[in-house]
Amino acid sequence: MSDTVDGRHHVSSFLMRESLVDKHVLRSTETSVVRMLPNAHVIKLGGRSILDAGRGVVYPLVGVLAQMLTEHKLILGTGGGARTRHVFSVGLDLGMPTGVLAQLAAADALGNAHILGALLAPYGVVAIPPEMFGHLLPLFVHAVPGVIFNGVPPYSIWEHPPAIGRIPPHRTDAGCFLLAECFGCKTLTLIKDVDGLYDRDPKLGAGAELIREISAAELERRDLATLPFDRVLLRLLGTARLLRSFQIVNGHKPELVAAAVNGEHVGTVIHA
Amino acid sequence: MQSDLLTDLGAAMLAGSLTDEVLMAQTDKTPPVRLLPDANVVKVGGQSFIDRGRAAVFPLIDEIVANLPHHKMIIGTGAGTRARHAYSVGLDLGMPTGVLSVLGTFVSMQNARMLHYLLAKHGIPFIEPAQFAQLPLYLSERRAAVFFGMPPYTFWQENPTIGRIPPHRTDTGAYLVSEVFAARSMIFVKDEDGLYTADPKKDKHARFIPKATVAEIEAMDLDDVVVERAVLEMLKNAEHRRSVQVINGLKPGQLTRALNGEHVGTVITADENA
Repeated sequence: MSDTVDGRHHVSSFLMRESLVDKHVLRSTETSVVRMLPNAHVIKLGGRSILDAGRGVVYPLVGVLAQMLTEHKLILGTGGGARTRHVFSVGLDLGMPTGVLAQLAAADALGNAHILGALLAPYGVVAIPPEMFGHLLPLFVHAVPGVIFNGVPPYSIWEHPPAIGRIPPHRTDAGCFLLAECFGCKTLTLIKDVDGLYDRDPKLGAGAELIREISAAELERRDLATLPFDRVLLRLLGTARLLRSFQIVNGHKPELVAAAVNGEHVGTVIHA
Repeated sequence: MQSDLLTDLGAAMLAGSLTDEVLMAQTDKTPPVRLLPDANVVKVGGQSFIDRGRAAVFPLIDEIVANLPHHKMIIGTGAGTRARHAYSVGLDLGMPTGVLSVLGTFVSMQNARMLHYLLAKHGIPFIEPAQFAQLPLYLSERRAAVFFGMPPYTFWQENPTIGRIPPHRTDTGAYLVSEVFAARSMIFVKDEDGLYTADPKKDKHARFIPKATVAEIEAMDLDDVVVERAVLEMLKNAEHRRSVQVINGLKPGQLTRALNGEHVGTVITADENA
């Protein structure tokens, strides 16, 4: 069991004494991965695009989600929206580093998670505190129709400094993606206020063309000025083992959300 | 929310996209504040150091204690051989990277607790991520705190490009603490003098590299590097902590000299200016 030939007390394993940085060692660690929640669907509700848009947008969507909860297990993540932009603005002005901005942003999305939780409470769906969410997720998914979390990944002050500027790169789209990948969920749907990905921002003028389906690599090559999801998702798709695509749908047409979760192609599909 | 209270940048962010690189380039124009500029982050290796037991750890503890009057230290811990065992079992059983990250966290936490108990009589606390808000108080009052090096990404750990081992482990977690707090130094305490052209434990012809930029290390395309590759990636984008030093903690006095700002191991810099 134990081995101390080099002065270090080792526990016998195939990685014993190995450097976990060594490329040859790392290649040996590629094995098949289990899916922990293969029947659950992850849905991200945009902060600014959906929740900040108010009752006219949110109520019909909640109605559709309530109907979907009778058939599907849903894991709902929320964005932070306008309040996150505001706290970024104040934080940047005060000289806060990226990690602190990431730590601050978690609160806004959590507020939105609780708003959604209040609206879905009649269906047994509530917002779960982030501290216990990950470890208890399989329990929740089996016990209730769905759960809500703030889509923020728990990077906090450990957020990576971005290549450009100071805004945290792992925001709520990334948090939902990483969760769906780790738990091997069936689909990831990002609900926004546009029909999908366009070749240029459709809010900035007419003539933008909808891209129905595209690979992450092709999208990296096209280097579009803006994307309707966290840019880091392109890189995450490249290394994903279980979640090989996600779909962007327009939450202002809530029936499309149900269609997307049923496997229909109703928005833009981005695949690995 | 559109109001006079928002800066121009704030108004632009409220209306615009956080994926817009032109807008993002405006977000680091305000001068950053250095939060804990006189604290040093010291990361003690798991496999390289703590797994050696008393022979290696006790003299290092003495050296840390001797430096308390002169230097503030945020002490992070590696995981080591038990993490390798957990990763081996986990890989065989098909665990995803996020679950392996949870397992690595537990091992680095065990090591942090042991270092903490060895330092307990000096009033030095162990802090978990939720307790980092108390870190400034502990540094002012006791001049050091111990934390586990693993970043708390758990199930949200990114997949690696090759294989399935979590790419952001204890070197990365400790480094990010030094970056976010704009620490005075980032010192990795290992059992080798620093970076070599190959693993000196396996290759007798390995050549020592006293100083290198990230670009130089990447150009060498080494099979093995003395710190996690993610640290090199993060260094490139860092705003504050633009260099790190890897030292041999088995040699008495090396930590003290590194804390005093001397170059005793391998200094890795983000670029030539760092």
